Amino acid sequence: MIKGFNHKLEQQPAPAFFVRGPSSFARLAFFSALSIALIATDSRLQYLTALRQDLVALLQPLQTVANAPAQLYRNTDEYFTAHHNLLNENRQFKQQLLKQDIALQRLSTLMLENEHLRNLLQANKALEESSIVGEIVHIGRDPFTKKVIVNRGANDHVVAGAAVVDAVGVIGQVTRTYSSSSEVTLITDTSLAIPIQVERNGLRAIAFGHGRDQTLDLPFLPANVDIRRGDVLVTSGIDGVYPAGLKVGSVTQVKVTADSPFARIVCVPTGGVENHSQVLLVSLAHGEMWEGDEVIATPKPSTKKTRVKSTPTPNNQSKIHAPQ
Amino acid sequence: MHPSKLQSLCLSLLIAYIAILLPWSGIGLTLRPDFLLLVIIFWMIRAPNLCNIGTAWGAGLLMDLASGGVFGQYALAYTIAAFFAATYQRRLVLFNHYQQLLYVLLLLLTSQVSLLVLKMFTGSQPAGWQYFLPSISGVLLWRIALMMGLKTGARSSGA
Repeated sequence: MIKGFNHKLEQQPAPAFFVRGPSSFARLAFFSALSIALIATDSRLQYLTALRQDLVALLQPLQTVANAPAQLYRNTDEYFTAHHNLLNENRQFKQQLLKQDIALQRLSTLMLENEHLRNLLQANKALEESSIVGEIVHIGRDPFTKKVIVNRGANDHVVAGAAVVDAVGVIGQVTRTYSSSSEVTLITDTSLAIPIQVERNGLRAIAFGHGRDQTLDLPFLPANVDIRRGDVLVTSGIDGVYPAGLKVGSVTQVKVTADSPFARIVCVPTGGVENHSQVLLVSLAHGEMWEGDEVIATPKPSTKKTRVKSTPTPNNQSKIHAPQ
Repeated sequence: MHPSKLQSLCLSLLIAYIAILLPWSGIGLTLRPDFLLLVIIFWMIRAPNLCNIGTAWGAGLLMDLASGGVFGQYALAYTIAAFFAATYQRRLVLFNHYQQLLYVLLLLLTSQVSLLVLKMFTGSQPAGWQYFLPSISGVLLWRIALMMGLKTGARSSGA
């Protein structure tokens, strides 16, 4: 009997020499499964949007600490900027202001006239837009996308879907808003599409970002399309997101190859997509229709070619001038 | 266990995270080493009872939050890298400094390759070769930390 008891004692597993908890393989399996579940939830369902906004709000103090050195450097730099630099700049601005004042005066009379004519024709009023000045705080940290973070958020009534422009042209679109900052996807990002119009002949098309190099593509336009080098592209305004007439880019290359029915058209954005720090967030007054988190639902040209082809592409061949 | 060690672990993770949150841009952003993963690897070598795969996963979630991408991508990449760090942790005492550097480089590359694969699945453009530069700069940073007297549990090459 004692022998049997002894045997039982011997059968007991020896205690682990170092306590390590579950094996690392078990942990790997558990946390990988958790991550994959999170990826699936976040990319397909909208449950985590509110959670992300709260967490980013919690992160705000850390972000402020991280921004402090750069802010300090900028402030001191500004402080020591030479006097004559400022004077020069001031003079330039005054000249610019004078020019713009004259243009504005003409604009106000034109706007009155436009309204009057629209009344006469009983046409709908053009959409009005509201705008907020913002500053780019930092560049997005994801190397796969082209995004920037702007220091205006839901507290300043920024809505997802607002167009982002600088002094010379469109640079992107707000895709996510947090409480005091918002994420802007640049027009060079592959996931952003922007409806455009060629200024010269009113031809409508859609421009897609090209990703790594700072260019835009105009895919799926026929080889005989009337687009030349140097053509200026402006927003068409038919999407209800971007106000009409903002400059987007200019065509730098039109290549027609014998083996493809489509022309390969490359454009360079006019706006300083990665240069300026001051931007204007423009949203149309009736922006309530953009309530979803992800506003850019347009499929990418490279990965989902078939879907793009099946959707009705803008009317390219008939060169209709958009109603003004 | 070691309250002081736990404190320094938390503090180093916090500092690494703030370093990630700095407004990097241009060439700095291309070269920026993955501070958070480096700190995690260091603690997985030094104190495997305090810092394990779960810690790496949590840090990965923080990275997801900072990068603004889909939740869980960095978390999965960090988990995979941390798994290899945990598996070979006991063997590491036999390595000298240079072998350890190679090992850290492989860990950093593992995390980056996992992230690349995940991003490909979600339909991102393939990144250029510069994508792997943070691993190189991370190893350089590790080497600098060694030269400044950080003890990483490796035998010095002379011993």
